[in-house]
This record gives sequence, structure tokens and C-alpha cells, in this order.
Amino acid sequence: MAALSHHHLSSTAPFAFQQAPPQNHSGEPTQHAFYPYTDNGGSTLGISGKTFTVIAGDTRSTSGYNINTRYAPKLYPIGGQGPTHKGSKIVLSVVGFAADGRALQERLDTVVKMYRYQHGCEISVKACAQRLSHILYNKRFFPYYVQAILGGIDEETGEGALYSYDPVGSYEREYCRAAGAAASLIMPFLDNQVNLKNQYEPAAVSGFDKKQLVPQPLERPQVEELVRDAFTSAVERHIEVGDGLQMMFITKEGIEEVYFPLKKD
Amino acid sequence: MTSIGTGYDLSNSVFSPDGRNFQVEYAVKAVENGGTAIGIRCKDGVVLALEKLVTSKLLKPNANKRIATVDRNIGVVNSGLLPDGRHFISRARDEASSWRSTYKAPIPISSLANRMGAYVQAYTLYSSVRPFGITAIVGGWDAETEVSVDGAVGSGPKIGSGGKTPGVKEGGPYLYMIEPSGLYWGYYGAATGKGRQAAKAELEKLKLDPKTHGEGVITLEEGVKEAARIIYVAHEDSKDKDFELEMTWVSAVSGPTKGRHEEVPKALREEAERLAKKALEGEDEEEEGKMEE
Amino acid sequence: MNHDPVAWGRPRDDIYGSYNPSYLPPTRQPYSSHPPSHPTTHTQSPVVTGTSVLALKFSTGVVIAADNLASYGSLARFTDVKRLRPFNRNAIVGFGGDVSDMQYIDRLLLSLVVQENYAGGGESVTLMNARNLHTYLSKVLYKRRTDFNPLWNALLVGGLDEHQKPFLAYADLLGTTYSAPSLATGFGAHLAQPIMRKVVPDEAAAAKLSKEEAVKTIRECMKVLFYRDARSMNEYSLAVVDVRGVELKEDNKLEAESWAFADQIKGYGTQTV
Repeated sequence: MAALSHHHLSSTAPFAFQQAPPQNHSGEPTQHAFYPYTDNGGSTLGISGKTFTVIAGDTRSTSGYNINTRYAPKLYPIGGQGPTHKGSKIVLSVVGFAADGRALQERLDTVVKMYRYQHGCEISVKACAQRLSHILYNKRFFPYYVQAILGGIDEETGEGALYSYDPVGSYEREYCRAAGAAASLIMPFLDNQVNLKNQYEPAAVSGFDKKQLVPQPLERPQVEELVRDAFTSAVERHIEVGDGLQMMFITKEGIEEVYFPLKKD
Repeated sequence: MTSIGTGYDLSNSVFSPDGRNFQVEYAVKAVENGGTAIGIRCKDGVVLALEKLVTSKLLKPNANKRIATVDRNIGVVNSGLLPDGRHFISRARDEASSWRSTYKAPIPISSLANRMGAYVQAYTLYSSVRPFGITAIVGGWDAETEVSVDGAVGSGPKIGSGGKTPGVKEGGPYLYMIEPSGLYWGYYGAATGKGRQAAKAELEKLKLDPKTHGEGVITLEEGVKEAARIIYVAHEDSKDKDFELEMTWVSAVSGPTKGRHEEVPKALREEAERLAKKALEGEDEEEEGKMEE
Repeated sequence: MNHDPVAWGRPRDDIYGSYNPSYLPPTRQPYSSHPPSHPTTHTQSPVVTGTSVLALKFSTGVVIAADNLASYGSLARFTDVKRLRPFNRNAIVGFGGDVSDMQYIDRLLLSLVVQENYAGGGESVTLMNARNLHTYLSKVLYKRRTDFNPLWNALLVGGLDEHQKPFLAYADLLGTTYSAPSLATGFGAHLAQPIMRKVVPDEAAAAKLSKEEAVKTIRECMKVLFYRDARSMNEYSLAVVDVRGVELKEDNKLEAESWAFADQIKGYGTQTV
């Protein structure tokens, strides 16, 4: 049983899933029931621009206070050709229970590949996004315990497209979204820096006359800097985030991957 | 064929008045057209050999292997209708695997022969099926008692109750031949196919019976060479046709194949073939010599 | 009132009698001929267990080790249990957790090897590699957790990948998988992993590590684990997988074992100074 003791640790750690297995306070012998979920930590985010979408995630995988590995990608190209996903223009990021994340990635990838065999053309991000929602909702009563973000290029406008999901398939198209362990740290930062929340025209007067700045699509260098800042800050304040930052830039040309080391502490 | 036209040869489930099942006898005819297959049970292993007739020059040499492995320690070679042989092998593998899932140990060769004999026999009983058009030779090595149950993690008591008796060994080399009727016997040397008469005559000359030859029974390596020679001898009657020699062997855990059924290594097979050809040439020369006299 | 929330809303036994399960379908356990009496049951906890498995990548292969103990709770029940199971010349699996589930998986792998062998065992035949094996095992484990019938194991797969390069990965009862230059299951994740990470902080360091250094590190870790893990023993199996195949030794004894440090330890139990 010692071999498995870290599972207990992970389920009692204060930052792990809120729905931990029920704790026993009755004084009876503790039942060692099987709980099919765990939290592997980490964080992801996505931002869409005028001509691109970026999806980013740290590469740390955790079990409770343990670091499983410093390199476990949370970003998966979807579709394209063969096991290397050559030519793919859609990226899925999953954070939460990594085994469910993998299973979800494989299902979506199969669906997208089948779509091309059946229709002779690539699936649109919009259709792929809805399909992902259905996959998640189909397991409504035994959910994939993940927060997913899907990124690509909108077929009709050529702009970046970004969709975010809850574990049971509720989804929304957004300009930016943070997910995972440090979502609560990163999301307000993005609200402020991408959607310009609480930013007003400097010249304006106070009170009701204050004019909210209107968000504009950001350029790639700006976005890359924001992503790096978001993660280096999250690393400082969250123990489950760190080791490496993986970014995937999706343009009409395809996917470009960038890796950036983060602190390993 | 006196039976033709009597009507008793049309169905499996009907005997002829003199107690024969003609469908089975026709199946035997199918076997008699196949390339020669032999098996030799040696002192420390079993050799299987096959005269694989080359039916087209477009076939890749040394591909399309015909001698199959069942479980890891058993080989099956057959002569007759090739697809029937494939099905026989598939069934043998299923039997071996289901035995393993029941008993957590490899199937003994005798049990496999028994199961397959029963299976083949069932195809002689019903009008809806035809008998197998093959004769199969099944050879393998039953492991010594030291081999543990599948998935076993410990080694058990070393002494006392449940402990091991030193020096006691079971298992060894086994060879069986199963015919279209479902009949099977254990053999020291077995042959089937077109050249079986010549092959059997050669096999009878070998020292194979431990009761009469004791320690003189031929070794596995001698067996390999004899098997190659016998296939070449058996091929003499159909010299105009091309053939490939396919040969496999299985030894004890302490032997060259470590208890597994494997192809005879290329070097050894080629050496055996060289000797076989030389032996044949020798015979030819003798015969020519006699004729000159 | 019965204050146990579990009993709320249920028919009271003292009025209605105990629950009658006769309408339930018969158990789906294999070979079970019991009349319908209980619903299908699944493993809820492990019984006989093995503790940590450790493994480390080096320049040309992988070193893996696990001790030979199977515990029954806190009882050291079986002391000659082989928890490293070679698969083929490319791969080996190290098991922690429930021993009966390990035996089940071992038989599953055996049937796989037998089928693989049907194609002929020659050098030219492409065998399953360690990555293939790990993918297979992780899918078996994930399927079983999804069925709420887990195989209660944490395991390491070590060996060579499709390019004959070192491969090492983890899989467990939840289907969780990951890969790293050094890995440890169970207590090893707490006690051995920090030692191993000092030696191989990253893949580049593993690519430079010699086999001898790797074996030395693993042996050192096995010693630490024996000193600190109460469910461990001082006999262990150690295997090296590289291009030459699997080299497994199952009767290693802990070297230079000494408890001289024990009375220096302060701050535990009744000891206050």
C-alpha cells in the first residue's frame, strides 16, 4: 500500500480537486474506495489575434506535491497527416486529469481525421469546436475531467479562432482564456492586458465620463510577451506550474512551436 | 476406384456397405499430392522439414513460410491443401492459448495432438462439412518441471513439503502426426506428402528408438542433417520441379533453441543442404559406376 | 432518527426487513455460478502489494530495479517475488501495487509475446518496442479505471524505442502516463527521485550517463529506500536494457548495509532530544 500512498496525498492536498473522495470522520475503519480521477496540475492559455491564434501551456506534470516529470506537453495538434499531424491547423490544449486529456485528444484527432477521409477536405475550426463539445457532453455523467481550449484559424474571416470548454462541453468562442491550476492568477491579467478591462483613456475625466479603452487585436510579438509574462508570474505564485513553457502559434501557414524554459523550483 | 458411381462417396455422414468413409479417403488423396513433410524426434529435440514446391517463379524466395509455431515450444508442418493447413494452425493456436488461460501453463504436445485429433475427426462426421485435406505433423518440447506457472512471482519452498526433488525431470521431445480421419499417433519419425514412401524408408534406417539404441539415438544436429537429406531424397521422384527446403527445430531449454520452436539458422541449414546434395551425388555416382560395370 | 446520511431516504430494515437483492442480475464475474445475490463487485483496494520501482535512463539504455518483497498490509508476506518482468529483448516492465493484478498483466503480456512470435522470432522481424508496450499497457489500465474495475498497479516500462534509443515511462491504475529521464513509483517518488534527479536533471544529462554510473545510482537509491520504506526489503531485482537485450539479475543483496546512523536520528517518536 505504500506504493500507492502518494495517491492519498494527492487527494488530500489543499489545492487539488475540490471534489476529493469523501473523508471519514466517523471513527470506523476508512474504506479505501476507488476514485477514478486525479489532478495533474499545470496551466494553459490561449489568445487569438488578427491572423493567428496562440495556445500555450507549461510542461510540468504533478501528483500532489510530487513533480512527475518536467516535460509532459498539454498541447496537441489535431488532425493533419499521420501520427506527426503534418499540416494540422488546429491545436487542442487540455489541463486537469491528464489521462482523460489524452483520451479526449485521441478521440478528437480520430474524428478530425475521419472527417477528412469522408469529406475530402479539412474540418473547419467551428465544426471541430462543436464536435469537441459533443464529445465532452456525451460523457456528461462520467466526465473527462479537463478544461479544454481549442485554437485555429476561422475559415470565413482568416482571423484567429479560440474556443474554451468546461468538462461537460459547455463552450464559447473568446479572444482569450486561461485554464488550469493558475487560471485564477492568469485570467485577470489577460482581462486587463488583452480585453483592456479597467483601462481608460488617460486624458478622460473621472466618474461617468471615463472612457473604457476598446480592445484591438494584438500583434504577435506583443502576444508572445504577454504569454511569457503570464507564465513567469504564475510560476512564482503556483507550485504546480513551472519547468517549461510550450507555445503553439497557429497561422494560415500551419503550426509553429516555441519552447521557453521556466523555473524548475 | 470401384466406389465411384455407387453413391457412397458423396457424403461424409454415410458409410459405404463395407464400412468406409470415402470422403476421408479422398482427403488422403489430396495429401498425397502435397510436398513432402517430415518430422524427426531426436535425443535432444525435434526437427521439422518441408519440401516446399515452388509454384511460380514470381514468388519471393524464402518468404511465405509454411511451418508454423504454436504457443512458443511447438511446431506444425502439414502437407495437402494449404488453406486447410492454415485453418488447422489457427485452431491449434487457439487451443494452446485457451489451455494457457485455463491451466496457466503451456499445453503438453500430447494434449495438443489429442485436441487437434478430436477436432479433425469432427470434420468426418457431418454431411455439411468436408474432412481436412491435410496431414499435419506436430512436434515440440514439453518443458521440464522447473518451468513455473504463468505469472508466478515466487519460487516456492526450496525444501520439505512442496519442495523440489533434485534430478527429477519430466517433459522432453514429442512428435505426433494427425491424418484427415482424425487418427493420430506419436512417432519417432513421421513423413507425409508426395515423397512419404521414400522418406519413411530413410527414416526407418535412423537410430531413433531410445529403447533399442539408448544413448545412440541421433542428436538434434544430426537430425537436422538427416532431415535435409531425406527431403532431398524424397524430391528425387519429382526432380523437374523446383523446391525450397524449409526446416525448423525445437530443443530443450538448455539446448540451442532454449525450448522454443524456431527456424533452423541459415548457416546450419545451408550446411545441411550442402551435405544432402553431396550425399545424393554420391548415390548417383555409385549408380553410374554400377551401370558402367 | 438515524443520523447517518447514507441511510436517509432508504426503507428501514426494522420495518421492511433487509434489502432483498434477488431481482439483481447474476454477478458477471467469470466462472461464477452463484444465484443472483450481489451486484457485480470490483477491486476497491489492493491486497498483496509490492512497493517502489525505480528506473533511470543512461546513454544507451535503461536501468530498472524493484525489491523482491510482496507485503500483506504491514506483514512482509512473500520475500522472493519477482516484480521485474521482461517482455522481449527491447523492453521490461517493473510493477508496484497489487501483486495479483501484476500476475494478470504478466499473463496478458505473455499471450502478446506468443502472438508476436508467430511471425517468426528472427533478427529481421520487428518486435514490439518499449514505447509500443507502454502505450498498450496504459490503454489497458485506462480502460479498466473507466470501467471502475481498476488494475491496482503503478508500473514503469523501460527499454528501447523504435529508434533503439532509451525509453522510460510510467503508467498507473488511473491511466496516468508520463515520461522522464528518471522515474520512481510509490515511496520512491519521495525518497529516490531527488537522488536520481541530481544525477540526471534532464535528457541531456541522461544521454551522457554511463551504464556503471546509472547502476551505482540505482543501487544507492535501493539502499535509501530499504532504510526508510517500512514495506521494503534488502533483496532486489535489477535489470539493464540496452541494444544487447535485457540483462536481469533477481537476487541482488543490499551492499554495505549499516544501521550505524540510526541512533543519530532525532526528532521522531518518543525521543525528544
